[in-house]
Parts: sequence; C-alpha cells; structure tokens
Amino acid sequence: MLRFVVRRLLLLVPILIGLSILVFLWIRALPGGPAQALLGERSTPEAVAQIEHQYGLDKPIPVQYWRFVKKSAQFDFGDSTTTRRPVIEELGQRFPATVELAAAAMLFSVLLGIPLGFIAAKRYGTAIDHASLVASLLGVSVPIFFLAILLKYFFAVELGLLPTVGRLSVLIDVEHPTNFYVLDAILSANIEALWDTLKHLVLPAIALGSIPLAIIARITRAAVLDIQNEDYVRTARAKGLAPGIVDRRHVLRNAMLPVTTIIGLQVGLLLSGAVLTEKVFAWPGMGSWLVDAIQDRNFPVLQGGILFLALVFVLVNLLVDLSYAVLNPRIRLS
Amino acid sequence: MSVAELEARAVELEAPSGLWRDAWRRLRGNPGAIVGFVLVGLFVLVALLAPVLAPYDPREQLGLSNAFDGPSTSHLLGLDGLARDELSRILYGARFSLLVGIVSVAVGLSIGLLLGAVAGYLGGFVDSLIMRAMDVMLSIPGFLMAIGIVALLGPGLFEIMVAVGVTQIPIFARLLRGSVLAQRENDFVLAARSVGVPRRTILAAHILPNAISPVIVQGTLALATAIIDVAGLGFLGLGPQDPSTPEWGTMLADVNRYFQTGPHLAIAPGVAIVLSVLGFNLIGDGLREALDPKLRGR
Repeated sequence: MLRFVVRRLLLLVPILIGLSILVFLWIRALPGGPAQALLGERSTPEAVAQIEHQYGLDKPIPVQYWRFVKKSAQFDFGDSTTTRRPVIEELGQRFPATVELAAAAMLFSVLLGIPLGFIAAKRYGTAIDHASLVASLLGVSVPIFFLAILLKYFFAVELGLLPTVGRLSVLIDVEHPTNFYVLDAILSANIEALWDTLKHLVLPAIALGSIPLAIIARITRAAVLDIQNEDYVRTARAKGLAPGIVDRRHVLRNAMLPVTTIIGLQVGLLLSGAVLTEKVFAWPGMGSWLVDAIQDRNFPVLQGGILFLALVFVLVNLLVDLSYAVLNPRIRLS
Repeated sequence: MSVAELEARAVELEAPSGLWRDAWRRLRGNPGAIVGFVLVGLFVLVALLAPVLAPYDPREQLGLSNAFDGPSTSHLLGLDGLARDELSRILYGARFSLLVGIVSVAVGLSIGLLLGAVAGYLGGFVDSLIMRAMDVMLSIPGFLMAIGIVALLGPGLFEIMVAVGVTQIPIFARLLRGSVLAQRENDFVLAARSVGVPRRTILAAHILPNAISPVIVQGTLALATAIIDVAGLGFLGLGPQDPSTPEWGTMLADVNRYFQTGPHLAIAPGVAIVLSVLGFNLIGDGLREALDPKLRGR
C-alpha cells in the first residue's frame, strides 16, 4: 500500500513538470500581453516596456520559466495584474466558493442518485426502472447552462422563492474568516446569514449536480443489478436473512465500489467545471475568475489558478484510486 | 441419427454471425437506439434541408418594433430580440451544431487514434512518451482546456471546433492504446507475425479492425459531448463573432440577458440542443450494448 502511494506520488512529478511547461508556454503564446490588456488604447511602447519590466516579462524565456517554477513551488504566484492583490490571496477567496458549491452539488446528487439507482434496480423492468433510465439519459443530455437558466427563471424570477445571483445578500453583514460562507455563518452563530447562504446555494447546486446525479443513479442501478445475482447474496437470502439486511450489508455495500470511483471522478470535474454555472448565477468562484483572467491576459492569475486546479484534480484522482483499494481488499496494489 | 450427427446439426444452426451483423440485429431490437436514430436522422435532415424548410432568412430583421413577439401563425416560435424569425434560426442552427460535432470529433478521433495505435503497438519509450503527454492533457479539466485553446486561437466557430476536438484527443488515444494492447497478444497476431507480415500491415489489417468497436461507441458519445461543449463555449461568448450567426449556444447567451422580456426564446435553442444530444447519447448507449462481447449471441 505504502509503495503504491509513493509510486503514484512519484508519477505526479513528470505530470506536474509537463503541466507547468504547458501552462507557461500557453500563456506566453496568448495574443496580446498583460501590458496591452492593462493599458488598452493608451499603450505606448515605453509604458508597455515598464510594465513588462515590472512583471519580469523582459527576461529570457528560460529565466522566466525557472522563476515561475521556483515561486510556484512556494505557492507564490505573484500579484494579479488587474487588482494588484497577491494571486494566492484571491485564490483563498475563490477556491472556497467553488468548493462550497461543488460540495453542495455533490451532496444533492449523492443523496438523490444512490436511492434512485437502488430503487430502479429493485424494480428492474418496471415503469419506475424505465422512467429512471430515461431521466438519467436526459440528465446527461441537458446542457448545464440551459438547466441553470431555466431554474433561475422559474424559481428565482417568476416565483421569487430563491435569490438569482451571488453567495450572500448584500444586506447581511457577517465576518468571513474561512470564506466558506456556510461555515462562517455557523461559526458566528448567525442564523440569518446561514439561511441566506443556503438559499443562495440551492439553485446553483441543483444545476451543477444534475449531471453527477444522472451518472450516479445509472452506475448504482447497474452495480446493484450485477451484485443481486451473486452467489453470496443468494446464500444470504437462503439462510433466511431479512431482505433489508441483505440489501444493506451485502448488496449496497458492494455496489458502492464502482459508485465511489464515479463520485471521486465527478468531484474532480465539479471543482473545475463550474464555469458555466458560475456564469449564470454570478458565483464568485474559480471558473469565473479564470475566464475573466483570460480576457484580461492576467498572466499571474492564469498561471497560479490553472496550476492549482490541475494539482487539485490530479490529487483527487489519486485519492479515488486509493479509496478504491481500501474499499476493495481484492485489489492488490502493485 | 447418431449423437454426433445431432450435435453437428446443432453446431450448424449456430452459424457464425459476425460481430457487426450480430450487433446490428441487437441494435434494431433496442427501442432506445431506434429513438436515437430517429432523432439524429431528423437532426441531419433539418441541417441539410434548412434553406428549404426555413420560412425566413435567419439573419433578416423583420421590423424592430416586432422584436420579442411571441409565437404566432406566421412565426411559429416567435421573433428574437432583433426581430429575426426564431424558427428559421433554430433550423439553420442545426447546420452549425452538426458541423461542429463532426469536425471536432474528427479532430479528436484522428489524432487520438494515431497516437493511441502507435503507442500501443510500438510500446517502450514511444509509448511512455505519448501516454505521459496524454496524462498531462488529462490533468487539465476538458472544458477549461477548451477555453484556454480558444483564448490562444481567438474566438470563432472554427476555433471552438478545434478546441473541443483537441480536448478529446487523450480520451481516444487511451482507449485505442488499451484496445490495441489487448489485441496484440492474440494468436492471430502471432500467426501473422510468424509468416512475416510487415508490422504496419498487422496493425492496419489485423489489430485495428478488432480494436475499433469501443472507439465507435466513444465516438458517438463524443459527438454528444462536443455539441454540448461547443454550445457552452458559445454561451460564454467565445463562439462565432458575427452576432447574426444562428448558433444555438450563442442564442442562449443572448437570452440570459433578456429572459424576462422573451422567455420563449430560451426554450427553443435549449430544447434543440437537448434533442440532438439525446439522440447521439441513445445511439451510443445502444451501440455499447450491441457491441459488448459479453452480451453476444443473446
């Protein structure tokens, strides 16, 4: 087990090196630089040169790359060219917003997806089963931003039940020590803020969770169908074990193996793929931050943000592999 | 009749049916796949016949005072914010979505297949080099990478097709490499090698045809993903820069701004995207079941 972890961590090294080169070269290849983006039409050659000198962009490419690697290793990504604040500080605000949204979306899809898949498998071949199959196919076929627009329109604009944009009403004044707004509200024991944050989370979480919901329901159904016909399940039934206990201890527990893998892979995607949901609901997370950064040619934000996201993505996938090994003792890691 | 004769007859009855004929037979028996074929068939027909079917020019403004008009007999889906016939725009939009799906999957598929086949067949250093490069690409979430590539190439229809295609390269490369590796150890490959068939011919004539079925399934599903991703990029404003181009994702992006004035304008392009994507997903699922060797002969 330990050898497997070490080996997988070592495999991360070439990936990270390749990734840093890719991100670095990609940013240098973008048309227009931060100086032009900052100065706009007022740019003069002198002003451009000054800004390029300020951000070290006038040094040779290998020197710039080495500086970039050295600093990234210390989580120093420089200052944003638009807000002039350290990238790491902005990351500290944006990433919690994305994590909070992803967690809410995952909670929604797991709590609904596993029971749905289980019921569909139990009622295999019935109308309920067919309906769940159709629903899960629709779930992966509806573009996330279309669903987001519909949800926003019906529940926020038409019915006025939930807020349309943002994470918290401007009227509510609460400290944000962690930038996880739900956690902040709980820490400051502010019921009103907690209620308001949760209301802001509902629609984006449903929109973002729709695809994982469909996938989780589908995989759960397939896994339960597979396992129901295993010999040990028949044995358990034959010895007179109550059906509920057989389902819980033998069927569901084993069916969770593939489901866990899928959940892990989806978490990785949610942390990064919320660009469209964030755009519709004006959610101040990683996605909208990076898209704005591309528009502004905000090199430091792009370098830091993408590198950080990719690192999180790779680490989450590693954790998925490890959890798989822990859950399934039959898998020998070598 | 002797037992041997009886068994011989039984064997005869189970004449070899061939993977593809077998798959086609099971595909026809799958109601989901049939619905998929109908949806995709309609989609292709609409795309091809858009100039005949569309009642108006999709770019023509029919009097700005009529903008946001709801559905009526002369305009079945109403008019958009610039008083253009929504139905005509949806019909013409099918052309872009179909083109986008085909081109981007063609980009991803061709490059991915080449890399995967070479890596799987040659093995060794080339294999490691190609697959590590694919790992790096996979470590960047697909949609984010597509945005990055569009940033590099500049916005535009062709650019977003290439961007979405590139994000699909590693998926196809991995898939085909795994498939080729599995086929390489087969007896018929060993036989071909022992009689001196050149490596290139073995790869092209013996390995690829047998390794291709998962690729076909993935290719169909990739068409669905490509249409959704391209619409998403269009929604972010990275699509065709000529605002009169009737691209479904771009049409939805406009709607997000004036939803309260014309909610009907969101439904039409959204439903169009859902139906075309659903069609490809249904076919892909049907193909997966039809080509699964574990289910063969049932």
